[in-house]
Amino acid sequence: MSTQNSTPSSRVAARGFGRRFPGERGAVEKPADRKKTIARLVHYFKPELPMVFVLMVVTVIGVVASVVAPALQSSAIDAIDDTDFGDIPRMLIAMAAAYLIYGISLLIQGYISAALSQRIIRKLRNDLFSKIVDLPLRYLDSHSHGDIMSRLTNDAENISDVISSSLSTLFSGILTLVGTLAFMLYYNVPLTLLSCTTIIAVVLVIKFLGKYMSRYYVKRQILLGEVNGDVEEKVTDFRTVTAYNQQESVIENFEKESDSLCRTGIIADVLGGSVGPIMNMLNNCTFVIVAVFGAWFAVRGWITIGVISAFIIYAKQFSRPINDLSQLYGQIETALAGAERIFTLLDEAGEDKSGTVRMTDPEGVIEFRHVNFSYIPGKQVIRDFNLKVDKGRKIALVGSTGSGKTTIINLLMRFYNIDSGEITLDGVNIHDIKCTDLRNDIGIVLQDTVLFTDTVKNNLEYGARRKDGSPAVTQEELEQAARMSNCDTVVAALPQGYDTVLTQAGASLSQGQRQLLAIGRAFLSDPRILILDEATSSVDTRTEKNIQDAMVNLMKNRTSLIIAHRLSTIQDADEIVVMDHGRIVETGNHEQLLRAKGAYYRLYMTQFAGKVT
Amino acid sequence: MLRYMKKYWWMGVVAAMFMVLEVSADLYQPGVMAVIVDDGILGGAGGSPDIALIEREGLKMILVVVLGGFSGVMCGLFANLCGQHFAGDVRKASFRKIMHFSFSQTDTYSTGSLITRLTNDITQIQNFVMQFMRGVVRCLMYSIVGSWCLLSLDISFRTVVWIAIPMILVITGLIILRTSPMFSVLQAKLDHLNSVIEENVNGIRVVRAFVQEDREKKRFEDANQSLVDTQMKVLVLISWLRPLMNIIINLAIVAILWIGAGRARAGSMQPGTIMAAVTYMSQILNGMMMLAMIFQTLSRGIASWRRVSEVLQTEPVIQDGEEAEEPAEVGTISFRDVSFAYPGIHTKVLHGINLDIHSGETLAIVGATGCGKSTLASLIPRFYDATEGTVLVDGRDVKSYPLQELRNKVTVVLQKSELFSTTIRDNIAIGKSGATDEEIRAAAVTAQADGFIMQQPGGYDTAVAEGGMSLSGGQRQRIAIARALLRKSEILIMDDSTSALDLETEAALNRALAERPGQMTRIIIAQRIASVRHADRIAVLDKGAVLACGTHDELYESCPVYRDICDSQLGQGGMTA
Repeated sequence: MSTQNSTPSSRVAARGFGRRFPGERGAVEKPADRKKTIARLVHYFKPELPMVFVLMVVTVIGVVASVVAPALQSSAIDAIDDTDFGDIPRMLIAMAAAYLIYGISLLIQGYISAALSQRIIRKLRNDLFSKIVDLPLRYLDSHSHGDIMSRLTNDAENISDVISSSLSTLFSGILTLVGTLAFMLYYNVPLTLLSCTTIIAVVLVIKFLGKYMSRYYVKRQILLGEVNGDVEEKVTDFRTVTAYNQQESVIENFEKESDSLCRTGIIADVLGGSVGPIMNMLNNCTFVIVAVFGAWFAVRGWITIGVISAFIIYAKQFSRPINDLSQLYGQIETALAGAERIFTLLDEAGEDKSGTVRMTDPEGVIEFRHVNFSYIPGKQVIRDFNLKVDKGRKIALVGSTGSGKTTIINLLMRFYNIDSGEITLDGVNIHDIKCTDLRNDIGIVLQDTVLFTDTVKNNLEYGARRKDGSPAVTQEELEQAARMSNCDTVVAALPQGYDTVLTQAGASLSQGQRQLLAIGRAFLSDPRILILDEATSSVDTRTEKNIQDAMVNLMKNRTSLIIAHRLSTIQDADEIVVMDHGRIVETGNHEQLLRAKGAYYRLYMTQFAGKVT
Repeated sequence: MLRYMKKYWWMGVVAAMFMVLEVSADLYQPGVMAVIVDDGILGGAGGSPDIALIEREGLKMILVVVLGGFSGVMCGLFANLCGQHFAGDVRKASFRKIMHFSFSQTDTYSTGSLITRLTNDITQIQNFVMQFMRGVVRCLMYSIVGSWCLLSLDISFRTVVWIAIPMILVITGLIILRTSPMFSVLQAKLDHLNSVIEENVNGIRVVRAFVQEDREKKRFEDANQSLVDTQMKVLVLISWLRPLMNIIINLAIVAILWIGAGRARAGSMQPGTIMAAVTYMSQILNGMMMLAMIFQTLSRGIASWRRVSEVLQTEPVIQDGEEAEEPAEVGTISFRDVSFAYPGIHTKVLHGINLDIHSGETLAIVGATGCGKSTLASLIPRFYDATEGTVLVDGRDVKSYPLQELRNKVTVVLQKSELFSTTIRDNIAIGKSGATDEEIRAAAVTAQADGFIMQQPGGYDTAVAEGGMSLSGGQRQRIAIARALLRKSEILIMDDSTSALDLETEAALNRALAERPGQMTRIIIAQRIASVRHADRIAVLDKGAVLACGTHDELYESCPVYRDICDSQLGQGGMTA
């Protein structure tokens, strides 16, 4: 069977994969993964260590200033209380200075956190994108594209938000906690331990809530990915939706998804939002415990009243960072849920690009030997396929829909790896050839053309190799390729000619015009081997004839492989290979095959007769 | 957009009420705490703490705090319900809107941008609404109660308040003014990033085949860098907000102490009053800081709000027609002096087209690439409206039909067969809701799709997801054709939708179509002469005008362009009629 997985429609089709099988999600919810996720996230901070260090120093200064200033403040009030006004100006100046230092440290903290978050997110996104460009086609053909996009945008952004808004809070919070705890222990151990009973409660609450929270945060990110996937699919295929009056049912389905995202979001945020008030309650309990037991201790003379008031201040100081941290908890959970999704994608095995043999200017002899292949195990698409294509020959692959023609191309390009047998180029197994060399040697035009949102010129130059190392394709070369592919007329009709930016990846052009541009692109890349997979199916036959005439010169001494249903496209090929169910059933040139009165003859007669009666 | 809030405003009010309770508890609690400290611990009889008082007041405090905590959770709950439902409604409404856009309207927004608007922008709005609900009451209460108390303490602190608060407001205002337009830029950059990802994921085969991974990585890195740069600018601006407020408020505290010290020296103020003033000032600080945070999400929210509003306020250019008169004929199509130019492009694609297609007729359209064949067809179901002239279906102007009705009459099989990620059955059933299995099967049989569908592992229930890997272009086209046939509409347009079918299959399809009971008007756009030569009439389109129209034989004799097309396909004069 042939596969045109490249085509948007089948990838659309393939998209629901991740959605359909919720089993895939399970893996990310394990706590072990959580630790690993954090460790990997920390890893991203490594190149930024100097920055992290400065951030920590500045935070420490800020924390110290924020402790010193209130102390100065209370002593100033004490001084007023004692009607000792001599020292007050000095104290107030010191206080103002401390607050200024605090403010400045906040500013620097903010700046560094912002820079840190942006650098890390840039790295994370670039890594992710490189991964996507490197993923095997099998993965991309079977996963929701909207979901992949959601990982690159939503999930990555959640991480950057946490870094920019909470990293320094995290630092100063932990610092304050540890410092306060040390002071408390220094003053009185039993009272400290009593205050800490609420910390145990805090931990228990976090543990209990955390379990549910992380579940719902992960679920929310997944649902968000699904909603994104749906949006992407439906917006992209909007034309079909409209043509079939399916707006209402599509909307209904979307609303269902949106509602379930909404419900999960509410649960996640309510859980996350309740942490703050609960922590506040617990903190106040700490205060009451300190007051009651402190008083009780004091009555028995174990501690002085001064210690109690110190403890009360500390208990208050304790509550601030705990409050801050608990406010952040939800945000951090969301970010971690996103990080897990990002790392899951990063952990996917890349495309098999092995092979070291350099081959920059091959003769172009292609041979398939006993090639077997299946996309889905047990459902063989190519069976014992044998074909030798000599240098400079023009070979055509014909056969009924689904007979495996495009699959052959997929295998030759190493988009998919064969199950058994071998494919060689100039006698070297393509698996041993450097993957980029192999693909550079081959120019390809696919059935569903892909154009990029860029100028026409850049679209045509895409992939043009310059063997002599000159910097760019010259205008003459460009125009020549455009003439040969007949896309010069298309270009001429565009408002800015070659500099016209194709909006929406060329959506304003007709399918045939897009094909002409794609052919121009392949011509300009000057390949040793040219593959045309239904490349002219939407081009009218007269234009096609012009292209073919032009190709004769270009492809002299070069190998070309052509797939087409229109027999006029291929009848002057040196050799026509007729395929059926992944096997070759007939080979020969046009005349030979007609004489043989086999499968090709029947195809040919249909073409002439139009309707077989 | 505010109307989406109507349904949920009461939740916001409830949230605000709980917020008042929570803040009241927060404001009340320090008082109790002060009693415990001053009267219980320090002021007990005989210098020893009054445990009974502490326990009593402590219990009271815990009750207050529990009430406050409960209110906090409830406030969160209602703010969430309100914000998320609101955002959900906006998301649904936007999606609905986009689904009803006309083709020319989706052409103007890019797909990537529409996706960002529906996802990221709406999340931003949701964040803003929720933060607003949870924060605004709290910070207003803190600031207003704080200022009120401060002013009522001693009028001499007025100057400090009058200087500090306007300063804060001015700074916040300035920063918001500066950041607000930057957020629009930020979202646009996000659009661009999304577009790059989308193009790459969809065009990955071309990227790989031309070994352009590095170029694409570079392109992405540039888009990423530019997004990061903008984000950095925004963050840096915003990072001024908190420190500046801190400094202003804390300096205000210093000023209060200064003034207070002076007044105390003069004997006109108690130290306790000064302490209280400092406490209130910190309260104002807290309130202002929260306000600043809210404004930060506000300016981002507003940028997103604008982008989503843009979608919501776009009215589909192609609207339902009003008239409901009975159509005069069935299955006829007429073009009267139709010209068409794509919006924003001056060159006309079609010029003065006049064409009548009779009921039950099969009309084929042939012509060179880019001559306007698909455009002509897309005017019939009103994917686009003709720039000049009228298109009639069943003798009635297409603009007079309700869109739903018109598109039920006219079915188009698009050039690109788009399948959705669901089962094959559901993909075909898109054609007609509530179609029975027999109908689906029958449509598939006619479309020559039944054979290969039955060979799939799950037959009609095979998820196209799984089968996506093993569905070829021709198989997808046949599913799309089955989908169209299921509708049994009176007019069927096949826009180059058999290009990936081999000739035998196509011939079988034509036979099956001919054998179908009932009358159907067909328009076939195709490149292969074999696909069109048995049509009742063939229209030759050239540069946007009808060059000739007639049967194959007539045209072969009279129309040089048509003869040229035939000859180019059928080889060296091998074709005789």
